[in-house]
Amino acid sequence: MPDYGQIAIGGGTLSSSWFLGLAAILFTLGAIGVLIRRNPLVILVCIELMLNAANLTLITFSRQLQDLDGQLFALMAMTVAAAEAVVGLAILVDISRVRELEDVDELDELKG
Amino acid sequence: MTLQALTLAILVLPAAGSVGLGLGALRVPRRLVQVVGPGTVWVAFLCSLVLFVDQLTNGGRSHDFTYWTWLSSGDLQVPVDLFVDRLSVFMCLIVTGVGGLIVTYSNGYMEHETDGSYARFFCYMDLFITSMLLLVLAGNLVLLIVGWAGVGLSSYLLIGFFYWRWSAVVAARKAFVMNVIGDVGMILGTFVLFAAYHSVTYAGIFAALPKTDSPLLELAAFLLLVGAVAKSAQLPLHTWLPDAMEGPTPVSALIHAATMVTAGVYLVGRLHPLYDLAWIAHGAVALIGTMTALFAASIAIVQTDIKRVLAYSTMSQIGYMFLAVGVGAYAAGFFHLMAHAFFKALLFLGAGNVIHSMNDEQDMRRYGGLWGQMRGTSICFLIGSLSLAGIIPFVGFWSKEVVLGDVFSKPDAGGFPQAMWAIGFATAILTGFYTGRMWWMAFSGGPSPERPVARPHEAQAVMMVPVVVLAVLSTVGGFVQINAGFHPGWKLIEDWLAPTFGPLPWQARDLEYIPTAATLLLAGLAFWPLADAFYRRRIWSVWSERLPFLQRLLERKYYADELYDRLFVRPMDAAAEAGDQLLEAPVIDAAPAGVGATARGGAGILSLAENGLFRTYALVMLAAALVGLVIVFAVRG
Amino acid sequence: MLAVAVFWVMAVLAVLGGLGVIVSRQPIRSILSLVVVMLALSVLFLLLSAQFVFAVQVIVYAGAVMVLFLFVVALLGPVRERAGGRLRFQWWLGSLVGVVFGGFIYSMLQGAHFRPPQRTDLSVFGTVQEIGLGIFTRFLYPFELTSVLLLVAAVGAIYLSRGGRAGAGRGAAAADGGQARREEEPHA
Repeated sequence: MPDYGQIAIGGGTLSSSWFLGLAAILFTLGAIGVLIRRNPLVILVCIELMLNAANLTLITFSRQLQDLDGQLFALMAMTVAAAEAVVGLAILVDISRVRELEDVDELDELKG
Repeated sequence: MTLQALTLAILVLPAAGSVGLGLGALRVPRRLVQVVGPGTVWVAFLCSLVLFVDQLTNGGRSHDFTYWTWLSSGDLQVPVDLFVDRLSVFMCLIVTGVGGLIVTYSNGYMEHETDGSYARFFCYMDLFITSMLLLVLAGNLVLLIVGWAGVGLSSYLLIGFFYWRWSAVVAARKAFVMNVIGDVGMILGTFVLFAAYHSVTYAGIFAALPKTDSPLLELAAFLLLVGAVAKSAQLPLHTWLPDAMEGPTPVSALIHAATMVTAGVYLVGRLHPLYDLAWIAHGAVALIGTMTALFAASIAIVQTDIKRVLAYSTMSQIGYMFLAVGVGAYAAGFFHLMAHAFFKALLFLGAGNVIHSMNDEQDMRRYGGLWGQMRGTSICFLIGSLSLAGIIPFVGFWSKEVVLGDVFSKPDAGGFPQAMWAIGFATAILTGFYTGRMWWMAFSGGPSPERPVARPHEAQAVMMVPVVVLAVLSTVGGFVQINAGFHPGWKLIEDWLAPTFGPLPWQARDLEYIPTAATLLLAGLAFWPLADAFYRRRIWSVWSERLPFLQRLLERKYYADELYDRLFVRPMDAAAEAGDQLLEAPVIDAAPAGVGATARGGAGILSLAENGLFRTYALVMLAAALVGLVIVFAVRG
Repeated sequence: MLAVAVFWVMAVLAVLGGLGVIVSRQPIRSILSLVVVMLALSVLFLLLSAQFVFAVQVIVYAGAVMVLFLFVVALLGPVRERAGGRLRFQWWLGSLVGVVFGGFIYSMLQGAHFRPPQRTDLSVFGTVQEIGLGIFTRFLYPFELTSVLLLVAAVGAIYLSRGGRAGAGRGAAAADGGQARREEEPHA
């Protein structure tokens, strides 16, 4: 069975698995960052990182299957990510007016 | 009105009086209390008279009235039945008659109490009368035990009547605990009898008794004897009676002299078919009685509180009754019961007159010279004292002579009754001595310098009349049964009780003249000149200085209280303390506390999931997503 | 050959940038690392025949969204994350879960069979025309929805960050469950 994962680009062939592996690494890094970092801003940045990794996966599969829907989906995801980042930052700005924002662990009023 | 309803009325009336006074204690005016309290008892007395006439005219045929069935469970049939025969009517008359006199007397004696307390007193007294009547009229052992417990309760309530006094509370508790020991014996005895004969009614048990003795019968008899000993304050369950003098004097008169403490004698008498068979237990009855008689009389010699002298005297005289019923001379025992009711109530009420007028002073050494200032009471008290000592012609002489005479003349190979007689004889001399001592210290001579009241006044009418009535009864009451040795034909008590007990199984011997005379003479000597010499004229130095050891022994009541304290009270206290520490706090308290702690701990653990921290939620979400993915891919292969 | 080299360079850059994001103490450096990642990824998109997405990634994502982040950092001032924190085990647990997750994905990639492609003509793959065609036919509905989404996000952001007592008060009041004081009509 031919390996359909190979992508012919220019003079060489690349394996889809490499792109997917890279995306996995980036996603893992982003996930770890969300769990470990305590600055809310950095947490948002890590979420963006995860979204980017997902976009990479989409584009890779789009190219491998030669189906454009993957790219279109990635465009939508990008839009959503932008909207979400905007609202998240607006909330952060709002909170920062009242209290010092350095540790997301301090925002625990919704406990219990 | 039928006899059946009348018999029930005897019980119901004082009960209604008790309940009414109890519920309406603060609302009923004192006048009404004064009428209702004694009134119900007198009406019960009248009903008892009707029963008496019936028993007199119908030749002693007994009635067993059943009202309804209380318990019915297989073999266990407990009817509410009242048994009316010559013995129960005899007891009813004594209880309601002497009881009525005493309750009437209390109208005056308790006058210083507040209205609520006043009503409470008569409520308890009526409760007692009801229970005692139930006890003597019961037709089966279960009802008997109900009455038994009822008089125990009334005794507790009345001893602790002055509940603000620590000594009264302790005494009431002591009396109740010892009575409960007796109750346990009674109940166990009932169990044994029921297990053997499948019946609790007198008729059922007596019909089922075998012809010969058996260990089972002995066991039942001994267990029931425990109850009798506790209730009648005989050795070894006697220590509560002197302390029971903490109650008001009418209480001491009624409960602890005339009626309740005689319940043990009644029990042996009522169950005499059982005791006639179980001869070991029967002998134990006599032995206990005799030993107690001597024991108590010796202690009474050193008592300084007038009520305590009378208490030990009661203990001693009941010993005589136990001796009588213990050898089979039932009529003699009950004759002495009746006589004792008369003169002991007389003595207590007379003492009550003195106490009342001396501002509640009870120490005899502080009296002296009352003969001149309270003549009426003194005369009555003298009559009572002579009766107690057994001097002719008072009732005490006749009854004590019947007892001692019947005991002495009982034929027995081992000489057991005669040995008992000897101890009884010695006790009679001691009785004369301490009675004389009591008289000389309290009533004669000059007034003691420590007298609280310089000029005590004679008692008021409502207190004096019952005393006089009892004095008259003590004087003439003896002539209903002249000692068999003197005049064979005059045995009214014995004849009256014959349908229950049968006639005396043996013939009284003529030799009794000698013991009788000896007893009379020596007792009389002890009373009059000897006690006079010792206490009034003080010819010989007071023997307490000569024999300090003996004095201490007697004063400390042979160290019985200390012994019981060491043997029973302290181990119980230690056990309770240990139970509290080892069982109560760690186990019983810890169980609900543990439930609470578990709930708290569980909630504490669960609430960690809601700590409000974003990072925790993120971690949990990611981990859950991971788990979900793993499961999906594992399933899909 | 060139493609392979480009790939590897960009891949390394992306990973370094990712590490930089999660390791930097200062937020500004995290943001800049993310920019690096985005740019590397955009080149990779280009490598994968996604010309339009490449352009959009650079213009919109790296150029607008990241700039927004930078502006917020400028607004909030320098904030250093101090050491410590309330959850002591979070570092270990977080890393553990993350690594396990990564390992899981890696294991999933082993022995994966790719499906055969749908079409073989790549001449117009990823061009603007094709993208436009796709958006307005197949993806019309999501496209319109994302427009509305952007509008909502914009309105929301404006509303939340209005500043002054009214904005902060309403924001905080709305956050704790609607116990707001409705003194004045909200004029949106």
